[in-house]
Amino acid sequence: MNEAVVATGVAKAYGETVALRGVDLSVAEGEVFGLIGPNGAGKTTLVRALTGTTPVEGDIAVFGNEPTAVDSDRVGLLPQSFSPPARLTARELIDYYGGLYATARETDAVLRDVGLAESADSWYETLSGGQQRRVCVGTALVNDPDLLFLDEPTTGIDPAGRRSLWELLESLAAGGTTVVLTSHSMTEVQRLSDRVGLLEDGQLVAVGTPADLIADHGGNSRLVIGTDTNTAGVSALEEAGFAAAAEPGKIVVDGVSPVEIGEAVDVLSTAGINYESLEWTEPSLEDVYLELTGETFEAAMGPSTPTESAPAASPEAEQ
Amino acid sequence: MSRRRRIRAEATAAWHSFLRRKTAVFFTFFFPVILVVIFGALVRTQPTDGGLFAEPAAYYIPGYLATVVLFTPLSRVGSEIARHRDDNRFEKLATTPLTRTEWLIAHTLVNTVIIGLASLLILGLVLLLTDATIPISAELAMLVPFVVLAVILFCGFGALLGRLADSQDGVIAASNTIALPLLFLSDTFITLEQLPGWFGPLVELSPLTYFARGVRAITYAPAAGEPYLGNLLVLAGLAVVFLVAGAYAIPRTD
Repeated sequence: MNEAVVATGVAKAYGETVALRGVDLSVAEGEVFGLIGPNGAGKTTLVRALTGTTPVEGDIAVFGNEPTAVDSDRVGLLPQSFSPPARLTARELIDYYGGLYATARETDAVLRDVGLAESADSWYETLSGGQQRRVCVGTALVNDPDLLFLDEPTTGIDPAGRRSLWELLESLAAGGTTVVLTSHSMTEVQRLSDRVGLLEDGQLVAVGTPADLIADHGGNSRLVIGTDTNTAGVSALEEAGFAAAAEPGKIVVDGVSPVEIGEAVDVLSTAGINYESLEWTEPSLEDVYLELTGETFEAAMGPSTPTESAPAASPEAEQ
Repeated sequence: MSRRRRIRAEATAAWHSFLRRKTAVFFTFFFPVILVVIFGALVRTQPTDGGLFAEPAAYYIPGYLATVVLFTPLSRVGSEIARHRDDNRFEKLATTPLTRTEWLIAHTLVNTVIIGLASLLILGLVLLLTDATIPISAELAMLVPFVVLAVILFCGFGALLGRLADSQDGVIAASNTIALPLLFLSDTFITLEQLPGWFGPLVELSPLTYFARGVRAITYAPAAGEPYLGNLLVLAGLAVVFLVAGAYAIPRTD
């Protein structure tokens, strides 16, 4: 398969702040590549480097050319924090950006794709935040690009709008469009990406399919049993061969496959231990992210003291 | 054909954006109007033996026109660049076929229309509110290239300001600081005789001087017959220089 993007030793510094430290990356044609990483990891700088909108050290080839020399009709970009002219309607904005290309998709079709057919004649500034972002996505699709760069495309979009946008991106990918996507939504990246790259402090510390990354770095599936009689429960489970640990108000059993859940429940019943809840979770890309970046949910959420009733970090929490 | 399509798309977007900012539209036209009303109708010219506004009313037509060909492009193009930069629009445009020169040409076209309309308004008000008369001749048509070239020149200048200033506020402050002395020290409202002798060469350095002298040769009867083509050529040369420099100065991205 041909490579749409090949980057070697890409480095960039803003004064004394180093944004990228020798990133090597390749994205195959037709592939959806997700870039994840903490704020300030260098995701946006890497997208700018790949689109030729910031000078960097190292070598980058997009469809075999330097990024600034690539046929711009083949590339679409949604920059981070992008705002088009505020007093144009959604339709006028799609027309405007379409007019910058030799050929462009039909405006109504683009508006339909991003779910804005009914708000097409509203000024951008009067649209909701999610609708505004969808207009911006539309401006990146208007030239029917072969390679699409989307820097946090679903920021501010409500769950329904996000899912419809995911379906749109999946249909584009199915049609052969190469997509480079950055996001803080692990659900989004896990769902959409063929491969994922994790940027940490300007370095690409892991690259692979979501399944491979999860297998390598995500840890085990877990069964969390809500119970007050956790000490006795742990003993019973350990005798049955489970790796169980007592935590306040619950027992955590590590490495439980779905078919073993019933067995664990039988052990508890036989030992006469009552429980209020059972929650089985499998590792996700979010676990990979937390493992590789060394971040914790509490740290990411700031200095406030978490309580036991705080919701667990899960991909669904972002939806 | 594609180039024309791109410029038309950019200009159309810029035109609609301007028209829908009602305060911008209002004050763009109100500023020269109030200037003519204050100085042309209220203060009035008083041909005596010195002081400001001692020349006949028609003498100041180039000055009134200079207010719009100078202030409007400087602040509008400079602000537009600052706004584009703040909103990451140049980053987006850098991945489209639109070139920086095309962007500047599109915005210059929009400014040309706006300033052309404002110039017509000024001429009408001067004739209506003052006792000025304009010699009617075929040469009057030469006002058009003077206005167009001056707009091109100061749009390029505005692009340079937009590049240098780091915010919209900075652009406004810088354009006012540059435009005000240019407006009064370019043979527009103040005659050379009213300035110190050593200042004369500095007046020659102002691009606006060539606009003012050329327009005066066309619109002011006592100056009629003075050659204006030389001024037009200088203005054309400066317009090309500023257009190229302005296009080069427009930020590609960060």
